[in-house]
Amino acid sequence: MQRFALSILIAIVIVAGIAAGVLSLSGSGSGGRGLAISLALGAVIGAVLQRSRFCFLCHTRDLLENGDPRGVLSILLALAVGAVGYVIVFGAWMPLPLADRLPPTAHIGPVSPVLAIAAFSFGVGMAVAGSCISAQFYRLGEGSPTAPFAIIGTAIGFVAGFASWNALYLASIADAPIVWLPHRFGYAGTLALTFVVLAGLAYLALRSSRLRLKKRDAERFDTNSVLRSIFVERWPAYVGGLLVGVVSAVAYLRVAPLGVTAELGSLARTGAERMALLPSTFHGLDGFRGCVTIVKAALLSENGLFVGGLIFASLAAALVAGEFKPRLPNGGEMVRGLAGGVLMGWGAMVALGCTVGVLLSGIHAGALSGWVFLVFCFFGVAAGLWARRRFKF
Amino acid sequence: MRILRWLAGLGLAAALALPASAQTGAVVDADWLSKNLNNPKVRVFEVSVDPGVYERGHIPGAVNIRWHSDLVDTVRRDIVSRDKFKAMLENAGVTKDTTIVIYGDNNNWFAAWGAWVFEIYGVGNQTKLLNGGRKVWEAKSLPLDNKTPSYTKTSFDLPAPKLALRGRLTDVSDVVQGKKKAVIIDIRGPDEYSGKIFAPAGVQELAIRAGHVPGAKNIPWGQAVAADGTFKSKEELQKLYAAVGADGKQPIIVYCRIGERSSHTWFVLAKILGYNVKNYDGSWTEYGNTVGLPIVNVTGTIWQGK
Repeated sequence: MQRFALSILIAIVIVAGIAAGVLSLSGSGSGGRGLAISLALGAVIGAVLQRSRFCFLCHTRDLLENGDPRGVLSILLALAVGAVGYVIVFGAWMPLPLADRLPPTAHIGPVSPVLAIAAFSFGVGMAVAGSCISAQFYRLGEGSPTAPFAIIGTAIGFVAGFASWNALYLASIADAPIVWLPHRFGYAGTLALTFVVLAGLAYLALRSSRLRLKKRDAERFDTNSVLRSIFVERWPAYVGGLLVGVVSAVAYLRVAPLGVTAELGSLARTGAERMALLPSTFHGLDGFRGCVTIVKAALLSENGLFVGGLIFASLAAALVAGEFKPRLPNGGEMVRGLAGGVLMGWGAMVALGCTVGVLLSGIHAGALSGWVFLVFCFFGVAAGLWARRRFKF
Repeated sequence: MRILRWLAGLGLAAALALPASAQTGAVVDADWLSKNLNNPKVRVFEVSVDPGVYERGHIPGAVNIRWHSDLVDTVRRDIVSRDKFKAMLENAGVTKDTTIVIYGDNNNWFAAWGAWVFEIYGVGNQTKLLNGGRKVWEAKSLPLDNKTPSYTKTSFDLPAPKLALRGRLTDVSDVVQGKKKAVIIDIRGPDEYSGKIFAPAGVQELAIRAGHVPGAKNIPWGQAVAADGTFKSKEELQKLYAAVGADGKQPIIVYCRIGERSSHTWFVLAKILGYNVKNYDGSWTEYGNTVGLPIVNVTGTIWQGK
């Protein structure tokens, strides 16, 4: 009981700290407002991911290995909700999807074989490391033994990505088309197409369902049970899906598309440049949209605060739920985290983002690159999970 | 009661009918603009360089001008064509009676470039810059909007262009070689001027040599503004530039690296002080790369490295 009280106390201190950070940033002039919103949205996403255990890998694995489609359905729901939100924003900013224009800052990336290979590598990396980068961040808040190694591995993978960028750019990315579906189908057509494809995927997920739900016993509905269902029990998967979709659209409206790798990539790039490991020029890199990495100039960045808010809010939520269970990693966890991280980091660098920055924010924006990432990342996950079963690691 | 309401209505009508030039000079301040947002004779344009800035919140009713595509011809390295410029104004519902107000991010640099292009195409007399730009508007927490406005298209005959406002490489080389007289002002930072660095960190467009045009005086653009980004008083500005011999008696040429920061100083000298000024938009990326023209470099970094 004493331990529980301590957990609650620490959680309250964290939440108060985040709130104080948001308030002081929003009062620090116009530049601070974007930082304040980033921190707040990061905290919301951290709590949502932790409470609903929204995780691209676990949801896919639940379906492939246990026949439970609920998680995959929640991802599809997040894609549908965010796509509607983006179209609402586009309608205000660019009433017509004019041929020579793209909506500002939306993650609409080049579609090339490199993207497919990168997404596949990312998928394998997710399966090996146990979850994608966004989920590693929220698991860091739960005290996961693998997450720190996966994040270190991701940073190493980023450096490998930078080292291979110029060759890949000249060989393939430079000539790759940047396809924005509304240019071809209009906003309504793109949304309809998105819904049709998502409904088709939902049908496939439901067809492979082997899930049998137990009828829930009649429960008392009172203050205690409501508090328990918010703070202790896992939220239904669809709640996570809905909220992720909403936050994605809000983030695009107010700050930038969601992404979790820009800050990590910038740290890796800055560090590697200091050690003179990287070329001095990355061809074409700064002209693309996505989780763009820059050499660190300011201590506080929007993406850094977003990820910081995500980790600490997840920690607070895990403490209250009794899900903060740190322990020392064993050798297998270290190796899997590092190896999976490297595959994810390389993929996220050359694809200009991960499951959040390219898949989620891309599909929301009507980018073909988002769909390509989804397909090849899924194959990567399936291959990685098969390899883990086959070779038992 | 009815009389009161009638009087109030009359007052409102008078306020709306008030000529937009109630604020004299080439600059308007944020408070004046915030009271004139519904004035049909005022049309606001945002010229920002960072993508997404306009879309995520602009001055209500402002029309977006994309610096990279709407104000320049990237293939010719030129300013936008007269026809395209005319179409842009017509689509924004501008007439010869409209007061045009321009503002933007990054200290109004690109907005000032916009004001210079507007001046070249003959609408300078009806064009004003929002003092302090986006920074001051945001600092005062004045309202922002994220809807893209649409206006009824007008037909607008542009007056004759004033191409002499544009400095060319020959204008600068004539001064360097003593064939013509003019004060050349380099508005870049002191380290760019001396040649210690080739360009500010993170900048891609470079010249092969570092340094400055022989005889050019260095007054960084930022010396023309106060800490909040608004212009200093006319007297202070006169004194600042008179110290290097730019007092309006001789023609002036301003330059920087690509011509956008120097537009800011062009605006100060030409529009606030009323001097005869050319903006040399080829700037250091043209002059510094030109074969056969001398430069001054006091640090010895003539080529990369010493």
